Amino acid sequence: MKNSDNNSSLDSRINQTLKNVQGLLKGRSIPGKVLLTRRADPPEDPSLRSSTFGRSFSENDAGTSDQMDMSKEAEAQGTSKQQNNNMTTNKLKPTNSNVEITSKEVQKSVMGARATDSARVMKFTKELSGSTVTLEKLRELAWSGVPPYMRPNIWRLLLGYASPNSDRREGVLRRKRLEYLDCVAQFYDIPDTERSDDEINMLRQISVDCPRTVPDVIFFQQEQVQKSLERILYTWAIRHPASGYVQGINDLATPFLVVFLSEHLEGDIHKWSISDLSPDKISNVEADCYWCLSKLLDGMQDHYTFAQPGIQRLVFKLKELVNRIDEPVSRHMEEQGLEFLQFAFRWFNCLLIREIPFHLVTRLWDTYLAEGDALPDFLIYIFASFLLTWSEELQKLDFQELVMFLQHLPTQNWTHQELEMVLSRAFMWHKDFSEIPNEVDGTTGTDSKVPSLRTFKYTVLQISHDDLSILSTGNL
Amino acid sequence: MAHRVDHEYDYLFKIVLIGDSGVGKSNILSRFTRNEFCLESKSTIGVEFATRTLQVDGKTVKAQIWDTAGQERYRAITSAYYRGAVGAFLVYDITKRQTFDNVQRWLRELRDHADSNIVIMMAGNKSDLNHLRAVQEEDGHALAEKEGLSFLETSALEATNIEKAFQTILTEIYHIISKKTLAAQEAAANSTVPGQGTTINVADASGNTKKGCCST
Repeated sequence: MKNSDNNSSLDSRINQTLKNVQGLLKGRSIPGKVLLTRRADPPEDPSLRSSTFGRSFSENDAGTSDQMDMSKEAEAQGTSKQQNNNMTTNKLKPTNSNVEITSKEVQKSVMGARATDSARVMKFTKELSGSTVTLEKLRELAWSGVPPYMRPNIWRLLLGYASPNSDRREGVLRRKRLEYLDCVAQFYDIPDTERSDDEINMLRQISVDCPRTVPDVIFFQQEQVQKSLERILYTWAIRHPASGYVQGINDLATPFLVVFLSEHLEGDIHKWSISDLSPDKISNVEADCYWCLSKLLDGMQDHYTFAQPGIQRLVFKLKELVNRIDEPVSRHMEEQGLEFLQFAFRWFNCLLIREIPFHLVTRLWDTYLAEGDALPDFLIYIFASFLLTWSEELQKLDFQELVMFLQHLPTQNWTHQELEMVLSRAFMWHKDFSEIPNEVDGTTGTDSKVPSLRTFKYTVLQISHDDLSILSTGNL
Repeated sequence: MAHRVDHEYDYLFKIVLIGDSGVGKSNILSRFTRNEFCLESKSTIGVEFATRTLQVDGKTVKAQIWDTAGQERYRAITSAYYRGAVGAFLVYDITKRQTFDNVQRWLRELRDHADSNIVIMMAGNKSDLNHLRAVQEEDGHALAEKEGLSFLETSALEATNIEKAFQTILTEIYHIISKKTLAAQEAAANSTVPGQGTTINVADASGNTKKGCCST
């Protein structure tokens, strides 16, 4: 059953791809290699089979091995998180030993997770069934991964879009969805003659980017999907003039799109067809995406304003954190003249969507959304953990190899396990460093273990819009 | 690059790849450095990077190419990469008039942030889409003439003129540098001569006109 599904999805993907290629290349002979990234993740890859965006835990589907995999890994995260709590006495140990310990713990937990799986789902169910959802509890649960079929509701709650009060919830959503429709009518569905030059340029930029959004997932090649994306992004951009549309925000809308569509479309994302949905449903999904994207970006407003100071600041903090966690890697990168901005800029700009397989993104976002307002600072820990996954490899590379390695990280075959590892370690480091007061802000660096704190604060303050030069490629 | 001297090449030339969003910069880069064309490329965020080593007038030259995001919002980030660049590869899309009209803005950008003697190659990309052409080749030539740029129409998809365009710009840079080196040697016997694997700035180079000689 599963296999035949996969085969037919493989067929349809190949056919679609062929069609695209044929359309593009009519009558031409193309030299060299023509790349289709879709080929890079063959469907027989087990990781693809766990890309159950659309697959809900619905009655007929429950208990398939895929879902066991997903939720057992989610459970593993929960367990390892606790275990990591106990490990925090190993403060500032060399990275590698931490990695090993975490790795063992995670594996152990994965083995023993099956039994507690349903207990975890029950906890979610219990939390959601009350007349008022306690967001703090929900955050704690969601941090370790949300069962896919609960994601739409939980994400809406975590982002503060849906009301925690169950009596009010439906009414608020209905109102918000209508409000979105009004916005689209007011800003998007108008002739170009009523737009300013800047607005026309912005719309043009968005329409250039929509077809190249997650191009390796065929679902996003559907014209209607791209139109939805265009409406969401343009409406958001018009209503957020301080930043407007910035390339990469298109990527950020995609997890919302797949999660909210998963309420209406069953099965494998590769086989979804948006035209199966009524205009009403599409409009509701769009509205939810729009509001959730807005909520997410509200917490990072200066990431996308001129010169993107918010991202520059976080890149700088990341560099400092990596230096404290793994001094040898940090020193090596410094010696090679590698700037963090040269690779980590995209990480912050697209929240790692570009760096990991798309089927893992929603799980990563469970943790992002659970962090809430604390997300920007927690990103530093996730990204440090992500980077130091390759601590050993990095130390063997020279400048050019480093840049290229970091811009094309070997995550194609990643499964939930690698991602959980990154998150567990981030959690652990965050806990370690949080015990030092105000560590990342560097406001009171009194702990003797962190001598660099004062200078750190000083340097952060030096970064302003005009002073980009110090962040540029020092070695070039 | 002072921290690392690589003896596998005689010269390292840093080149920036600029131009409006969606004109095909990243595919020009992948065509030139890996002979690949990606049908599903994503927008470039910030900058990306690739290198290729090739022969220019009998010398081994390593081209270090920084591919930049096209959106205006990223200019604050990307312009930092202009520093130290000896060449700029400025791309427009022959099927999108606006990307050609914006060439002037990109030239201004280079004037503001790059070395004043940076060698510029303008490329009208997507020449395979002749049936959708919105910019005539003569217009490209005329602008290049006026601004003193090298110019070629290219197709990253069909690999037309990509090699030639890079050969042209690298040769031109090399000539300027060897002329400078010669002048420097004549001027002072004990002056520092650019050695192996050193990045060289093109400053005060005369004869910086269009069209270097090219070999394939």
